Amino acid sequence: MAFGRRGGATVIAIALALLAAPRLGNAAGDGGDTRDLVQFRQEIETLKGSEAAERRRVEQDEKHIEELENQLKRLETQNQKFGNTASTLEINETKLKGETDQRLQDLQAQVAAKPSNTDFESEMSRYLGTHQFTLTGAAAGAFIYDKQTAQNTFSLEFEPLFLYRLNDWILFEGTVEAALPPGSEASFALPVATAQIFLNDYLEINAGIFDEPFGDWYEDQSPFWVNRFITAPLLYGAEPIVPPTDIGIQLRGSAQWGSLGQDVDYTAWIANGPSYDPALPKPVVGQTLNPENNIAINTNGRAYGGRFRFYPFPLDSGLGRLEVGASTYDGKWLDSNWLYSWGLSAAYLYKDLQARAEYAESYRQMPAGSGPDNRQGWYVQAGYFLQHMPSTGISDGLDNIIRRLELLARYSGVNQRAIVADEITTSPAIGFSGSPSIFSPHSREVALGIDYWVEPSIVWQTEFDLELPGRGGSLVAFNGAKTPTFSGINATANDKALLTQLSIGF
Amino acid sequence: MLGFALIMAATRPVVCIASEPQSKEQRELFVTGAKLWPVYCAQCHNARPGSQFSPAQWDAITMHMRTQSIMPAKDIRAITVFLKQAR
Repeated sequence: MAFGRRGGATVIAIALALLAAPRLGNAAGDGGDTRDLVQFRQEIETLKGSEAAERRRVEQDEKHIEELENQLKRLETQNQKFGNTASTLEINETKLKGETDQRLQDLQAQVAAKPSNTDFESEMSRYLGTHQFTLTGAAAGAFIYDKQTAQNTFSLEFEPLFLYRLNDWILFEGTVEAALPPGSEASFALPVATAQIFLNDYLEINAGIFDEPFGDWYEDQSPFWVNRFITAPLLYGAEPIVPPTDIGIQLRGSAQWGSLGQDVDYTAWIANGPSYDPALPKPVVGQTLNPENNIAINTNGRAYGGRFRFYPFPLDSGLGRLEVGASTYDGKWLDSNWLYSWGLSAAYLYKDLQARAEYAESYRQMPAGSGPDNRQGWYVQAGYFLQHMPSTGISDGLDNIIRRLELLARYSGVNQRAIVADEITTSPAIGFSGSPSIFSPHSREVALGIDYWVEPSIVWQTEFDLELPGRGGSLVAFNGAKTPTFSGINATANDKALLTQLSIGF
Repeated sequence: MLGFALIMAATRPVVCIASEPQSKEQRELFVTGAKLWPVYCAQCHNARPGSQFSPAQWDAITMHMRTQSIMPAKDIRAITVFLKQAR
């Protein structure tokens, strides 16, 4: 544009110069002046034409320049827009990348992070529901040999324990005993089926058919893997002092009376009570108690009893754990005839040593014409774990085997006035050797055992029993008659039995 | 007996103690349960490690054992906390 204005001024200056030129020429001569004037005019016209053409070009150039400038402006505007868009895209990409990285990190952290046990338990509890079913129990397989009967056999028993927990204060429990007696069929029993209702920290109701809460044996020591031995001590075996189970209702509870470990517990119960084998033509001294009394139609009253146990040592005293207890069991077994029983128990645990002892006796009132039926029974047992034995120096494998061993000894006996011949059974079973020497008015047994603990609830047990019955007492026999015969028992043969058993608590 | 339980526990592939934050009461119950477990359980049988059952199963089993042993309620609560966490 500046060039156009300067160009226009130059053309005007040249034109003025040309207009001034003829006046100067007139001074030279008229003839030549006319030609010159025409020429000047032609040149002026030419110059005018050139100027017009130049103006048009300038105008065209200016127009073109203006168009170019507009295009440039549009391009600059577009370029600015593109720049803005690019910036926006860059910002978005950065933001997206950041968010993606953060999410990825969060996910990685979630994957890597282990959920807390509390959270997991909470989720699982919700999944499993509030009613929870748990199956535990025990199984045992044994090989049994008795010298006197020359019997040897394998035997098997399975005792699943069903627990059904409704909430934190109601629990149902059921135990089924499945055994394989002589013959080809299985036998089943229901020794325990109870509802356990915890009313508060000090009072519980236990109702149903339950292990007799008399002493410690039936409730606490009878499961296969819990009993250190394979057999039961004599007073809780084939000729028991009190029945092993009862149907009724218990109240029980406990409290800490001193420091931690110094406790007391109590159990009081009422139940159907004792009964005896109805297959015999008449009640006789020495009769064996029935394992349970399902329907009590033989008496007009219930049996009742109580047990009290005391734990004197504080946990931190270093004196071990001692339990001493006393139990009673009194009930009518026929009409107005009672069975009175009482017992004392003790258990002691100190490091690798565990020991137990119980004494019990019963007095059974008999119908007219028969003397009283008295019985006493006891056992003392001890076991010692070799887990802290020093190394043999032979091999670690041998040390490991030795340290899983527990050595055991038990002495037990029963005194009673008579044995009923019709009730003697010598068929071996889990927990029973079948020795006829056990069925003696003055039975005595020395049991030696060695346990190999595979796990805390899996044990391979081996037991050697030496039956040493004393002389005395009577043998009562019906032999198909309605009236029994009594014969004195003099010397009774000793016997030996060997049992080995794999017991699994699950 | 505690030694025996520990020997047995050492033979298992996974035995660890949960390390998540706990309340003071939970920690005290855990410590008390750890002291009671090898003694109260071993009074009758070998103390079984917590890893043998799930926490839900321990809830039912320890209720059952409260009846069997008649131990004080606060003590069985402590043992339950210990067994459920010492896994």
